[in-house]
Amino acid sequence: MLEDFISSKKSLFAPGVHTELRAQENRQRGVSLIKGNLTANIRTEVSGVCARVYKNGVCGFSSTAQCSAAAAESVLKAATENAAFMDRHIGKGKTLFPALTPGMLPVKKEIRDTEQSAYVDFVKELDAYIVSKYPQLTSRSVMAREDSMDKILCTSDGFDGHITSPRSYIYVFMNTETVAGAPIELFKPIGGFGNFFENFDDPKKLYAQIDALYERLMQKREGVYAEAGYKTVVLGGELTGMLAHEAVGHTVEADLVLGGSVAGPNLNKRVGSELVNLVDFAHTAFGKQAPLPVWLDDEGTPAEDAVIIKDGILTGYMNNRESAAHFNMKPLGNARAWNFSDEPLIRMRNTAVLPGRDKLEDIIASVEDGYYLLDTNNGQADTTGEFMFGVCFGYEIKNGKLARPILDTTISGIAFDMLKTVDMVSDTVSWASSGFCGKKQPMPVGIGGPELRCKVMIGGR
Amino acid sequence: MEDLKLVASKVREALIKEGAQKAQYTVLEKITHEFNVDGGEFSLFRTLFDNSLSLTAFKDNKKGTMAINKFDDAAIAAAAADCIKSAESGIADEAYDIAPKQEGKVFNEGAYEPEVDRFFERTKELMADIRERHPKILMEQMVVQHEKIHTLYQNTNGTEFESFRGYYTVELMFSGHEGDATTSFFGSYIKTASLDTPFIELGSIEKDLADVEAQLVTVPLTGKFEGVAILTPSSLSSFLFSALGNFVTDNVILEKTSIWLDKLHEQVADPRITIRLAPHDERIVCGERFTSDGFLSQDYAVIRDGVLQNFMLNLYTSNKTGHEHAPNSSYEIVIEGGDTALSDMIAGIKKGILVGRFSGGAPSTNGDFSGVAKNSFLIEDGKITGAVSETMINGNLADMLNNLVAVSEETVADGSSVLPYIAFGGFTVSGK
Repeated sequence: MLEDFISSKKSLFAPGVHTELRAQENRQRGVSLIKGNLTANIRTEVSGVCARVYKNGVCGFSSTAQCSAAAAESVLKAATENAAFMDRHIGKGKTLFPALTPGMLPVKKEIRDTEQSAYVDFVKELDAYIVSKYPQLTSRSVMAREDSMDKILCTSDGFDGHITSPRSYIYVFMNTETVAGAPIELFKPIGGFGNFFENFDDPKKLYAQIDALYERLMQKREGVYAEAGYKTVVLGGELTGMLAHEAVGHTVEADLVLGGSVAGPNLNKRVGSELVNLVDFAHTAFGKQAPLPVWLDDEGTPAEDAVIIKDGILTGYMNNRESAAHFNMKPLGNARAWNFSDEPLIRMRNTAVLPGRDKLEDIIASVEDGYYLLDTNNGQADTTGEFMFGVCFGYEIKNGKLARPILDTTISGIAFDMLKTVDMVSDTVSWASSGFCGKKQPMPVGIGGPELRCKVMIGGR
Repeated sequence: MEDLKLVASKVREALIKEGAQKAQYTVLEKITHEFNVDGGEFSLFRTLFDNSLSLTAFKDNKKGTMAINKFDDAAIAAAAADCIKSAESGIADEAYDIAPKQEGKVFNEGAYEPEVDRFFERTKELMADIRERHPKILMEQMVVQHEKIHTLYQNTNGTEFESFRGYYTVELMFSGHEGDATTSFFGSYIKTASLDTPFIELGSIEKDLADVEAQLVTVPLTGKFEGVAILTPSSLSSFLFSALGNFVTDNVILEKTSIWLDKLHEQVADPRITIRLAPHDERIVCGERFTSDGFLSQDYAVIRDGVLQNFMLNLYTSNKTGHEHAPNSSYEIVIEGGDTALSDMIAGIKKGILVGRFSGGAPSTNGDFSGVAKNSFLIEDGKITGAVSETMINGNLADMLNNLVAVSEETVADGSSVLPYIAFGGFTVSGK
């Protein structure tokens, strides 16, 4: 865990400007076993200190790969000079955003290291299980990943704190061929918030999920291409979470609103059916800890939930302190940085569509001709809300019953149109948290949601 | 600035002391100057001082890798110990290796020292040019950087490479706006070692801005058709990355899931297609000079005249599979221009689509792809009739390369690649 070498430098903060000083260490561990070959066996540790100074509407930032009081002084000086450079050349003359009540967030979660041999041994045992039980696979990969952020933050006019967030995952990939001889693949991420040894104490506990993955792959072997067109579908929770993050979440990040996103002219307007509610949870969701909890952001704002859509109406944006002042909203802790050399950007935390009252079996039974889409391998959207998600597993629905599995396909739509077609929402939420959101910097995020009945474009062959 | 050779000698000593039988290590020092524009306004000036130390050690045919960003003695000693411990926990494999001794070289590339004030003036000029010439463009974000990078690579076979590289990059993310009409966002990028030319004149920036403004007017597309897709250099790049990743890179060859596994030296594409990875091409700025395995980088063709010449393999996969390792490990793609003017290419298409950006799911292992045609235009009877929205395209990457219609005379060199427009048949285009 990081030692505090920056608090004593708060006395150097210049008056009349907003200043952040942050020490940070990121650790990553990685092991990849591809078809039994150990292709990655890596440990990474990167640390340093940075400062950001906000002056008259522009920012100066500097970082260095040193962890010392002298390094803290040097980045404070450089960030101050950079802010002055921008102010001199750009001269926006904006006033400072409102100060926050000061406070201190103590460490919520200890980051503890795991010996590299533990990752290697764990994936070897899983690989051996797969090989012995499923020798007919054409290939398989097992990977272990852990990443963590450990930050000490001091601000001129907000909370200080010690912010930690470890997460760890096992990824299992399986490959085979379709009946027609075409190669196909499915994968499953397992894990979540916490140190590796806390999430993975016994490989045998993962066997059931591996068996389920194999079962799906065998079904996919006999899959058919989806019929292209505008179809009624039931989105699984993982795809609903992708929708919440990619197609809605990014458009309501206030920096993208200022960049011309579709959310700008739609504030306080209907963007979905009255069944649609969407929240970016900070640290607690549905009475439990959120998948990747955030208690304090990197501008010193204590984190609270951001309600984005309520009963189908777009009610708010995600903000940093500057954009919150611009839109006359309350900052809720969305300004986060990935590395010590990164400035805080407006980022999502745990973004989810809220559950409804329908049972999944009733939703499927209600579809005469459509698809139940379960797994996704990626998703993209743009500031118009037009989205595209890759679908790597799903079923046809014929006359209210699940029919043949489908091969890889893509769905697309425009979020604020598509959400108006939502007419059934299931009563359970699925979460995922193994991915990184990409927006200048990577950032771990949680996504989640219930099953939705809606209409989207689906690609065939 | 640190004495990287002194750091490297300490790393070597520490690794050998811990029991490394073979090792390679890279010591890097980087200074970044960066200006940001957000929502059309200048927002941030960053200066970053970073180090990187990457160690790979081999012991009893086992391999471990450690990366840190500290150069002090205690950090080096701890990293070396951790690296060896990781190796010891690994799996023995005789395929792990480093390159044999190569002739030592020092590379001086690009603009090593930044001209910060002139760089900032060029950036302000770009914003002013865009406002004046393309008033319907809203700059969502612009990130311009100068990176000054000093790198030292050594391995225990006696190889030493040192490079001093500096270059400017400009990344734009923008969309078109007029009244209630808005376009999808589009990204434009250039890498350059010179500040002599206004940024708007480099790469395809000016054309990209004009194209996005033209996308404010859309035409409806209903139903579906099979036709020709002209891929712009930008979208061609993303299709080629997917094809190479699916068919010729390490994992798919190691797993034997590539559909080109048995196609080496066979025809896999139209004879008019030659795809080179060419970091030494004069149009590539500060291209790769040595690989992560310790080889000097050389230009090569993955596909020449439609024939698959090389897989893109690192030394490990090469040793494992018996195929040659790739002569470089870059993605600096060069495809020369063809014999058809872009205007003639469009004029020759009865019904098709000009694809500016592809937003698609990860292609299937067999190369099947489907996704949304973004920033794209409909072509009917030899003319562009308007931009499309909510339009999907489907196809197969391997089939696409065998279905070439024409290659444009025009190419775009953005500093990282040189690519023409290429028209391929067999695309399925579906409207809402």
